[in-house]
Amino acid sequence: MEFYTQALSNVLTFWPLIAMIGSTLLGVFIGALPGLNPVMAIALLLPLTYSMDPLVALGMVAGIYNGSMYGGAIPAILLRIPGTPASIATTFDGFPMADKGEASKALKIACWSSAVGGIVSAIALMTMGPLLARVTLFFGPAEYFWIAIFGMASVGVMVGSDPIKGIMAAVIGLLIGTMGIDSLSGQARFTFGQTWLLGGLDLIVVLVGLYALPPVLQLAEKCDLKGLSAAQLKLTNTPFNKGEIRGLIPTWIRSSGIGIGVGILPGAGGNIAAFLSYNAAKNASDDPDSFGKGNPQGVAAAECGNNADNAASMIPALALGIPGNVVAALVLSALTIHGLQPGPQLFHQNPTLVGGFMMEMLITSLLILLLGGAVATRVFAQFQRLPGVLLVPSILTLMCVGVYVINGRPVDLWVMLLAGVAGYFLEKVNVPLAPIILGMILGPMAEQSVRRALLISRGDATELLTRPISATLAVATVLVVAWPLIKAVRRKRAIATKSD
Amino acid sequence: MERRQDIALGLIFVGLGIAAAWMATSYSGAGGTYPMVLGVILTLLGGTVALRAVRKGANKARLLVDAPVKMITAVVIAAIYVTLVVPLGFYTSSFLLMLALPIALGFRQGIYALIVALVFMTVVYLVFSVLLEKPLPSEALAPLFGLGV
Repeated sequence: MEFYTQALSNVLTFWPLIAMIGSTLLGVFIGALPGLNPVMAIALLLPLTYSMDPLVALGMVAGIYNGSMYGGAIPAILLRIPGTPASIATTFDGFPMADKGEASKALKIACWSSAVGGIVSAIALMTMGPLLARVTLFFGPAEYFWIAIFGMASVGVMVGSDPIKGIMAAVIGLLIGTMGIDSLSGQARFTFGQTWLLGGLDLIVVLVGLYALPPVLQLAEKCDLKGLSAAQLKLTNTPFNKGEIRGLIPTWIRSSGIGIGVGILPGAGGNIAAFLSYNAAKNASDDPDSFGKGNPQGVAAAECGNNADNAASMIPALALGIPGNVVAALVLSALTIHGLQPGPQLFHQNPTLVGGFMMEMLITSLLILLLGGAVATRVFAQFQRLPGVLLVPSILTLMCVGVYVINGRPVDLWVMLLAGVAGYFLEKVNVPLAPIILGMILGPMAEQSVRRALLISRGDATELLTRPISATLAVATVLVVAWPLIKAVRRKRAIATKSD
Repeated sequence: MERRQDIALGLIFVGLGIAAAWMATSYSGAGGTYPMVLGVILTLLGGTVALRAVRKGANKARLLVDAPVKMITAVVIAAIYVTLVVPLGFYTSSFLLMLALPIALGFRQGIYALIVALVFMTVVYLVFSVLLEKPLPSEALAPLFGLGV
């Protein structure tokens, strides 16, 4: 308890507070603009945080993450255009509500539900994170190796539609992670005689390219020359019926649980949490046919579910150093930027910072209630009147400044551009991008752990499998990789049985 | 066709995997074994993708680019921008980008683009150069106006 009291007093100081308020507003704005997403925003933000206090930097990450998850609901409800992938399920009932003249009510429900999901998720992070970190004190190099491999395998298999391509993407990330001077032997690898490659490819440079350029190119392709009209963004105030808010509580409880469960799983993101929550609410409803036709429970389930995923996805990231999604990976990058080593030692060596970040996740969820109401929504919705074509050079400019300030090297701009174009085409052929980033982050940890384990065991590779935890993790990894195969065989058998 | 796309993708990754494994053979000790193993795995996975496509790939092609002209225009202008950032300076090249790219994409309201460019660049200048004091490529035109930006 003292841990959190101390963390709270650190967070409730001037600059972290300003950072949280400003970034939550910025997050709502980013989420509200289709084509922009939290990953892109955080990736652009990170290079600028080098000189900041870590609590200020992490407060900004928390605000953008939570704010944008809610912000995505604004165009989802008003225009049936999901602002972020996680708000797709919000369109199902949000837009029909807006169509019936209840846009304002739908936005209020989205705001409340996002805040509730975020708060419950932050509490889960604060309770489960330290417990998990305690367990990992028993981990040695072999366990860390398997944890890294398990994390990548799970993300590779679960994140895209094709598990083989997902794993292939993770291996590419691992190979990129080996570029530069090998920290154990001092040997230069894959540097092609270029001195600027001795430090390897910068994670943030590749990340900005992979995650920010493809949406920019898609915006250019869409070529929106007009933006939205004022009439399309007009809101009429609809009051809540008596007991309407109370009726949402069971949905919030169910969706929060689902969102937390999904958040902890590596690879499953807010969109999956939202879909599962929406389906669960529909199944539990006395009137399932009203879903898809403007049922407020549908909006509440989707928004609560996707926000409940946020802080929960930080549980394996902070406790194990294994990011469950790309935003969690970015948080780990933010920690690394400030010289902190993610993993179990983080809780013991930097309790103030970890506790502070968890508090910031909680506070920014609360801030959605204060800052994300109908008034703010009205203001942010107005930005959608800006023609999309003007956003293209604006984002390119921000990408350029974000990447350039990391090392002050023009070559990084080319790396970003090439990574972005590659990312654009890879996504089109169903190669997911998240495993590439996770491979880059976890690769060095996996390599160093396996080599340390082999050094300790004097080259005996069975050391990687003989300890109970490492053996369990190895089996879990094999199961994760084999699971799509097992599913395919079962599906074939089921089809064969049916045709018989 | 989707089949051909996957065969090409698989073969590209086979090529990358073989190249990585081959390069890793010149690295001594465990520092070479790890990337070599990764190269071999990438080769196998790429081969699997290609073989799977040969055996039962769909014949319907995925749309790789929705609007090729717009996409290529954006990439080419982005590349020109990256080339000009250092010689012209960050603010000059970014301002030109803010005007040129929308017009190249078919936006015909020049005054609107100019106002957005001016407002946006002012905000960027205040945030990055004044508030955060980030060092950015200096302006080639600044000395002409007696400025030290």
